[in-house]
Amino acid sequence: MARDPRHDVLFEAVPIGPKTLRNRFYQSPHCTSFGAELPGAQAHIRAAKAEGGWAAVNTEFCSVHPSSDSRPLVSARLWDEDDARNLGAMAELAHEHGALAGVELWHGGCVAGNLETRMPARSVSQMTDESLYSTSCYELDRAGIREIQGHYVAAARRARDVGFDIINVHGAECGAITQHFLMAKFNRRTDEYGGTLENRARFWIETIEQVREAVADDCAITARLCVDTLNDSPLGIRASEEAYGFIELADHLVDFWDLQAGGWVAAEWAGDDAVASRFAGEFSHRAYIEGVRPATAKPIAAVGRFTNPDTMADAVRSGVIDIIAAARPSIADPFLPQKIEQGRYDEIRECIGCNICASRFAQGAPIVCTQNPTVGEEFRRGWHPERFARAGNAERTVLVLGAGPAGMECAMVLGKRGMSAVHLVDESDALGGSLRAISAYPNLGEWGRVTSYRQVQLAKLANIEVILDTRLDAEAVLSYGAEIVVIATGARWRADGMNGPTQTPIPGAELDLVHTPEQVSAVNGEIDGAHVLIYDTDGYFTAVAMAEMLLAAGKQVTIVTPFANFATFMFFTGEGFRVNRELRARGAVVLPGHLLSRITPAELLGQGVWSPDPVSWHADAVVLVTQREPCDGLYRELAVDPGRLAAEEIEAVHRIGDCLAPRTIAECVFDGHRLAREIDSPDPAVPLPYIRELPALGRARAEALAPSGRRA
Amino acid sequence: MNILVPVKQAGHLPDDFVLEDGARPAPEALEWRLNEWDERALETALGLVESSGAGEVLVASVGPVQAEAGLRACLAKGATRALRVWDDSLADADALIVAELLAALARREQPDLIVCGVQASDTAAAATPAALAGLLDLPRVAAVGGARREHDDLLVERELEGGAVEVLRIGLPALLSVQSTPGRPRQANLRAIKQARSAPLETLVPGDLDLDEARLREVAGARLVRLSERARVSGAHMLDGPPVEVAAWIAAIIAVESPA
Repeated sequence: MARDPRHDVLFEAVPIGPKTLRNRFYQSPHCTSFGAELPGAQAHIRAAKAEGGWAAVNTEFCSVHPSSDSRPLVSARLWDEDDARNLGAMAELAHEHGALAGVELWHGGCVAGNLETRMPARSVSQMTDESLYSTSCYELDRAGIREIQGHYVAAARRARDVGFDIINVHGAECGAITQHFLMAKFNRRTDEYGGTLENRARFWIETIEQVREAVADDCAITARLCVDTLNDSPLGIRASEEAYGFIELADHLVDFWDLQAGGWVAAEWAGDDAVASRFAGEFSHRAYIEGVRPATAKPIAAVGRFTNPDTMADAVRSGVIDIIAAARPSIADPFLPQKIEQGRYDEIRECIGCNICASRFAQGAPIVCTQNPTVGEEFRRGWHPERFARAGNAERTVLVLGAGPAGMECAMVLGKRGMSAVHLVDESDALGGSLRAISAYPNLGEWGRVTSYRQVQLAKLANIEVILDTRLDAEAVLSYGAEIVVIATGARWRADGMNGPTQTPIPGAELDLVHTPEQVSAVNGEIDGAHVLIYDTDGYFTAVAMAEMLLAAGKQVTIVTPFANFATFMFFTGEGFRVNRELRARGAVVLPGHLLSRITPAELLGQGVWSPDPVSWHADAVVLVTQREPCDGLYRELAVDPGRLAAEEIEAVHRIGDCLAPRTIAECVFDGHRLAREIDSPDPAVPLPYIRELPALGRARAEALAPSGRRA
Repeated sequence: MNILVPVKQAGHLPDDFVLEDGARPAPEALEWRLNEWDERALETALGLVESSGAGEVLVASVGPVQAEAGLRACLAKGATRALRVWDDSLADADALIVAELLAALARREQPDLIVCGVQASDTAAAATPAALAGLLDLPRVAAVGGARREHDDLLVERELEGGAVEVLRIGLPALLSVQSTPGRPRQANLRAIKQARSAPLETLVPGDLDLDEARLREVAGARLVRLSERARVSGAHMLDGPPVEVAAWIAAIIAVESPA
């Protein structure tokens, strides 16, 4: 299919200072937890996007000096030439694919915990940041300000010297010293750096000026600006006053603007930056970006979780932005620009806005994606997001049982690897497995993209047969004629209340008033009883969905959880604050720090985590969201008789996804993908080792381990 | 009960197709799949044989070697035998010629019942079943949605306008053309697919059949004159632009078009 001419505008070049973006697609800075310490992973995750057509790829936030150390969160760093050399590999690969490489210079000021470097934090004013405990920073004096600005310049030079094309003097997401100077919330100074907008803008503007003077002949200069902090406080940044005013003041210093709204870390605005799909769709911050145009003569880039080329083209043609900035869509589909360019619209793997990517950064762990299991694996496992080698055992036939996330992904990748025949069989009448119910949960419709993308790809592969409405028992599997059998039959919620905190079932769970999430969603929350108590020891979206569904069905809802917060995991995905606020606003009563110990028809008995005294509640119904167990009966039946498998010429029976161990959807998709990628390895059940980027001591070992001469 | 099921591979156009000079698209530009109505015909035939406890299902194609993929798919699903009739003189064969060949085949095989798909998804003529029934002087029920044996007869269901179901009784031999099946047609398992790859498949040339080849040339019905893309005329108008403008546009259209 040819490209829709309406999308041609997306492939116009955009000059930015001494450089040119080859099209309007800009991978905005996003975290990976690779930093400068994992240069292979860092270089190749960006290279995949450069190859996929992005005009520019960026690092994550990149610390300019040891006084800004983000541990346990991982930033990139440009503290010295070694950091620069490591990051330079990324620029080199980006250039090989015709893309520009950018670096986002960051100093965290008071939000830098400096757990590694042990330097005291310094910032605009003496204050304590809410993300740190029992820790304050000290206020920068004028000499200190000059010093920090010098670090920005030194870092910019290092980046330029290793080939970076774009220097971004970052001041967004409410987590950088530049923005803290600008924001009244953080800036209480009375000198020329505090007070009026001009004064509060001074630090950042001087910094951009100095960086510009140092590298502007070689590099495009930009600044990532938060145009609105999306909070109600008078101490926030308002698009109309502060942000547009700053843009006017600094417009002569940048070659384009990189804009966003909201923040990530603090309770006040948490999650409004990379907002999850349960709260907002594409370009939800458009209203804040629309007013920027009169304030600037420069091209405007802004994020908006763009996945639909119509929305992108409209945003450009209506004059709101010039550059499509994207982080999550580039993670879900590194080849998004190329697919639009070539009119391969049905191959776009759209971001579902689950924010599992961000959750990994928030836990200090490497990036993952629900839709794209190859992200972060480009280097260490050598997985290309779009290319699949023909399997060494491609003449084999494969039966995949269960068309949920793991089964669909596994069958699709096996098909792309050229297996002679792959049958994907499911007992229900549609693809999706557990996702069928989940994507029907309130506000999670976009998660259905996990199924729809794979449905389209499976239909295109001639060697794949999707067989629905078909239940195969062990005997049918044995006589099916497949040499390889993959069991992906999913998981179910425990009905007995077995849970992690106590590792015991809950007495009374067998009573009729007790329901599993499956039972609640099957009737869309319309269970018997006016008052429902949800007991959550799972910590993620299921209990939230139960509460939303029951509230929508007119129930009175009480949520009990032993955790300190409800939906604890969702504080990593940026959903936690807003989910908790909104459920309470809708009338749900949330009781953190409590265990549910026993269910009787008359009352529900519990106990506070902090007190031995029993408590009791009254409710007409209980929903147990405690833990899932694998639906692995078929696997066990098959695995028990290796002789029979051999007699039927079945080489291997694998289990993947929730059927192996119930996990997040992202891990299930990964599991299916991993097995298919390694289906021709000596033992596909065991993941092949991946490249670990460890600093090797080698011959210098003895010297390196000797007592340091620097010890006092 | 022995049943003959004529099947064909139907060509599917890719998303991007070009029709040059009114000619047919090149065969290699098409994706060939077993005609979906023939799959339903096969399912109907297999069900009848299974419920009667004895008999065979013979699948037959008039087509070049590529047709064997469809025949083997039928063998994998449970057809007893497969047979293909072809020589290059049949390259332009239309439904009437195909019906002549199938009629000759039926006279040789003497099935109790012939079950066809109601039409082919590529040519959409629905002519072959009617022509075949005419040539063999068989009673025919078209657009069948289900069939079962009752004593020596068949009870045949047809879905009518508005969801009404008509049940007809028909004696054998007869010809059915199948529109749908009560359930999803069966899928072959991998073992059957692998076995079907090497199953015997009889191939015949028209001369092997008892028919008058001169007559074949005379029965030619309609001949292809031109194949072209449908002219894209429509009353649809794309409303393109910012949401506010689109909304205003829609409001204006409603104001003009809606009866006051």
